[in-house]
Amino acid sequence: MKALIYTEWLKMRKYNAFWWIMGITTLSYPGINFIFHFVYQQIVQQQSQTGQMAKILLGNPFSFPEAWHTVAYFSSWFVFIPAVVVIMLITNEYGFKTHRQNIIDGWSRNQFLSSKLIDVMLITLIITLLYSVISFVTGNLNQERLIKSTWEQVHYVGLFALQTFSQLSLAFFIGFLVRKAFIALGIFIFYFFPFEPIIVALLKEYGNDSGRFLPLEISDRLIPRPAFLAKLDEAGYKESLNAIPQHVLYTLLLTGVVWGVCFWVNKRRDLK
Amino acid sequence: MSIVLSVKNLSKSYSTVRALNDVSFDVPEGSVFGILGPNGSGKTTLLGVVMDVLKANSGSFLWFSRHGTSEQRKKIGSLLETPNFYSYMSGSDNLRVTQAISGRGAKIDIDAVLKKVNLYDRRWAPFKSFSLGMKQRLAIAAALLGNPKVMVLDEPTNGLDPVGIAEIRQLIVELREQGHTIIMASHLLDEVEKVCTHAAILKNGHLITTGEVEDIMMDDDDVVEVSAADLNALAAVLSKLGKEIVTDEKNHTVQITLPRGSARLDEINRFCFDNGIVLSQLVLKKKRLEARFFELTNN
Repeated sequence: MKALIYTEWLKMRKYNAFWWIMGITTLSYPGINFIFHFVYQQIVQQQSQTGQMAKILLGNPFSFPEAWHTVAYFSSWFVFIPAVVVIMLITNEYGFKTHRQNIIDGWSRNQFLSSKLIDVMLITLIITLLYSVISFVTGNLNQERLIKSTWEQVHYVGLFALQTFSQLSLAFFIGFLVRKAFIALGIFIFYFFPFEPIIVALLKEYGNDSGRFLPLEISDRLIPRPAFLAKLDEAGYKESLNAIPQHVLYTLLLTGVVWGVCFWVNKRRDLK
Repeated sequence: MSIVLSVKNLSKSYSTVRALNDVSFDVPEGSVFGILGPNGSGKTTLLGVVMDVLKANSGSFLWFSRHGTSEQRKKIGSLLETPNFYSYMSGSDNLRVTQAISGRGAKIDIDAVLKKVNLYDRRWAPFKSFSLGMKQRLAIAAALLGNPKVMVLDEPTNGLDPVGIAEIRQLIVELREQGHTIIMASHLLDEVEKVCTHAAILKNGHLITTGEVEDIMMDDDDVVEVSAADLNALAAVLSKLGKEIVTDEKNHTVQITLPRGSARLDEINRFCFDNGIVLSQLVLKKKRLEARFFELTNN
């Protein structure tokens, strides 16, 4: 495993696009949270009656323990940025035909795919660390002192990691099957942004909410809308919290199947 | 002599095209084994199968008498089809990836192989800036890394200039002399004739013949070419040895065809001398591989 990580590091360290996109990721995750935090402060700092009512109604979603949940929710919108890196890391191998060369040079087909699995895991780890730092800093900035409930919702770190890994795995899957960088990116972005959200919304309205079993939605429901956004529908919020354990299971199953199919296909197909 | 690669009844199809059809042969240790054939004959497919980038429909192959594994491939220096490297990385960095995967050689060996293929001065230039010949030379450097005992080279002189071709040919001869086994696919028959000890000829996925190059180049019969001052007298004397006599006035030679393996040049020389003919030329004619190849492949 150490040898696989070292080889992947050799491939990545001189790959400028990787560092650019990871840099954009590093800026966008705190950026989106800062924007929402700023908007929230603008609202609650108003001396007007509306501002005071908003403060009472919303509470402070950026203080502990809710900060873990709120930051996870906003950060999860930006998974498509590291997804670009993941898609490029696999489609580059096809573009350069190094997926063949790595095997010719002595990797087994499983080792080749394991190296990519490790890439996705490492990117997930980096993003999860980034999210954790943002959550911790945001929570602290909104808290005068550490209180007992600081770590109450820290399980969102695990949920965020699982969601990120699952969605990056889906991005990898598209890159793995399609092989062409721009087509794979186009398919993923189109599916991520308008397609699946529209289908989920339609199925929620007309299809008994069966959209919850769609690939991205399965893991999207690991991190439901934060409490302050769900004030108007308390029952729905509780329901979404209760559904998290089921969606952990679904996500694990889906992600396992995705990687299982990748390994199975890679073992059998011609490397052209 | 042990067998490095043994191919048994390999068949491979791409949808309706049968690229390999029941191909079997052995590659002896220490040989330079040429795989010949016109374009589309299945040479690259065959090498792709034994290097595990393509899956055979049936048949098997053994490397060093064992079923092919990734550990065995690490010991084989390979150049298959086109040079495949990361375009954004330098030649030297690309060889570090090769070294990390294969475990062949050490960091210091990377400079040595780059010097060997005359790329040392451009070692930090990105691969995407290389010419076709430089890319090919980098691929050869990757195959040479760690001085592997077995090498698989698919069209190794592709894209090289005449000097580069001569250098690679010399390199292959040197490797052969050092006891390396080289499996080389090529459609350059002159190249194969000059460096290969053994060959297999493929056509439309079928194995036409395999064996030592010398044997492949031989006809079914021995053809001896002789010359003397009086061609007519020479032809008359030779007609006592065999029936097929051809006089070539233009080249001032007489050719006599004898059953394969029966031509003894010393006996022919003595026979002519005893019959009053002094020979000025006496050679057992071999066909050029090119001519033999065209004969075998009916082209």
